[in-house]
Amino acid sequence: MKKPISVLIIIVLCIVGLSIMRVVVSNGISTSGIALDQIQTDIAYYKIQNINVKQKLLSISSFNYVASKASSLGFGESKSIISLNKSIPLAKKP
Amino acid sequence: MIWRYRAVLIILILAFLAVLSRLFYWQVVKAEDLSRLGQSQYERSINILPQRGEIKTSDYFQIVTNRISYLVFANPKQIKNKNEASIILSSELGIDKASVSSQLSMDKYWISLKTGIDTQEKKKIEDLRIQGVDFEETFTRFYPEASMAAHLLGFVGKDDLGKDKGYFGLEGYYDRLLRGKEGAVIEVFDALGRPVLAQASSNPENLKGNSLVLNIDRAVQFITDEKLKKGIKKYGAVGGIVAVMEPKTGNIIALSSFPSFSPSEYGKFDSSLYKNPSISNLYEPGSTLKPLIMSAALDAGIVKPQTKCSICDKPVSVGGYEIRTWNDEYFKDINMVDVIRRSDNTGMVFVGQKLGADRMTDYLTKFGIGTGTGIDLQGEVYQALPPKDKWYEADLATRAFGQGISVTPIELLDSFSSIANGGIRMEPHVVREIQTPEGKTIKIVPKALGRTISENTSKVMTEMLVNAVNKGEASYARVKGYRIAGKTGTASIPIAGHYDPNKTVASFIGYAPADNPKFAMLVIFNKPTTSIYGAETAAPVFFDIARQLLLYYGISPTE
Repeated sequence: MKKPISVLIIIVLCIVGLSIMRVVVSNGISTSGIALDQIQTDIAYYKIQNINVKQKLLSISSFNYVASKASSLGFGESKSIISLNKSIPLAKKP
Repeated sequence: MIWRYRAVLIILILAFLAVLSRLFYWQVVKAEDLSRLGQSQYERSINILPQRGEIKTSDYFQIVTNRISYLVFANPKQIKNKNEASIILSSELGIDKASVSSQLSMDKYWISLKTGIDTQEKKKIEDLRIQGVDFEETFTRFYPEASMAAHLLGFVGKDDLGKDKGYFGLEGYYDRLLRGKEGAVIEVFDALGRPVLAQASSNPENLKGNSLVLNIDRAVQFITDEKLKKGIKKYGAVGGIVAVMEPKTGNIIALSSFPSFSPSEYGKFDSSLYKNPSISNLYEPGSTLKPLIMSAALDAGIVKPQTKCSICDKPVSVGGYEIRTWNDEYFKDINMVDVIRRSDNTGMVFVGQKLGADRMTDYLTKFGIGTGTGIDLQGEVYQALPPKDKWYEADLATRAFGQGISVTPIELLDSFSSIANGGIRMEPHVVREIQTPEGKTIKIVPKALGRTISENTSKVMTEMLVNAVNKGEASYARVKGYRIAGKTGTASIPIAGHYDPNKTVASFIGYAPADNPKFAMLVIFNKPTTSIYGAETAAPVFFDIARQLLLYYGISPTE
């Protein structure tokens, strides 16, 4: 019976190749700690910035703020209701 | 020689057993502890702060959201110059120096100095570089519209375990939906303490609470808040309420009440102000109940609009009491249309007596009086109607014009809205939809609670109420060009077995446009001083708000 040498070689090569790849990948990931730490710091910073900007945006788009601004600019409340019951003529004879 | 072999064998067996038992101890008994110890050297559990869901008005504006705040804490054992630290911290944090000093002198590793400081305050303290002082990130509620709709929203306080808990209003009613889930993320660290990419145990986004989208229209709420505040000041009232509802759906569009509180600083206000008077205060509705009784009598076929009152030419004596009209004017053979227009108490006694206690109880129950509305707010109360056999002659007479019966403002508005909605009573609802953290939207569909009166009766009653607005006591304030149905109310306040003649609850209830109502509204002033009458206080405010709402909704005049 002939030994399947070629099959054995392929298997051994696969094992060796995958082991090397695992070492390379693990090594790459394990040394990404500093970058990851930086990313997490950045995420936390932007999260806080986003919440603060949202807070500011909501404050200046609130009706209380808009109404006080409008009042200080001289806008007042409309007391009368204007409605057009009939169609307006396009032109009138003098 | 054999004994030597045996001795060696026994010693070996004992040694083997000792090793085995020790291995059993480490591998089985102490396995979990060792595993935890190992994990602690390369893993760290980071707690994720649960973020409470937001509350949005109908235009998706976040009327309640979260802001980042910080808890300042210190380790007294790490602070070298405690006196200097307490001087600096007390001035920066705005707290008493003696309080900081006494806390820093404690024999503890952790003391809380102040909660709720913002990012800028945190940065200021960080820049001081005081050793032993640090911060913990937390979320607190932020209200962009300040105290707008405070009673409706409620507030977030702490429970017995120091965790966030909603109290009153929507925060209380929907607390379990709004509160986020507590979670943690496992991070793996290398030998130098730097994070290594590793599997996170949970997605922080899914830990957020559900958000609520309300039926509350921010513009309408703003209008009612402003008009009510001005009205209370103008009429010298103790307080007031404005409730606006969509009769066709039961959607609550606005709910204002004053005096109120600031939900972000609720601790600074008296706890009696936390209750929402629209749902938690019972009052005698007075003449605003008359449309319900009259529509019940019309629906039962007991009276017709042109039925003449045979007892209205003088005060009516019932059960030893004399019942008078509000202005002591009496009209012989007054018809039902004018009974409503003139808000004639004797006319309503006539209607009540014809209707009888049985039918009046049945109709009031259909209107939801004495049963609660089921509104989605924490703190709704109601007073059940007395049993039919406990209605005495005087009770029947006075209840017909709204005295001797207690309702909440929301109960009255909901029942009155059924007249506007062709006789169908809807469940009042504040929340329109629920948004889950996964992005799903759960819509809350309007719920009909049943028929109160026939559609035909509702049309007849509407005409009587339009007539009351156009020709009644409050006609001077009406919005010209529009058909508005409404009724004034001036209810005396019961005090120690009698009614106070000088203190009233003045109100006006109505809906517009009368033929295709967009909104039903109730305005109440508690103990107004410039005038005790609803026609002179609540009615002008009602029509002022109605004018603004008709403009806002772009509804054209019809007359």
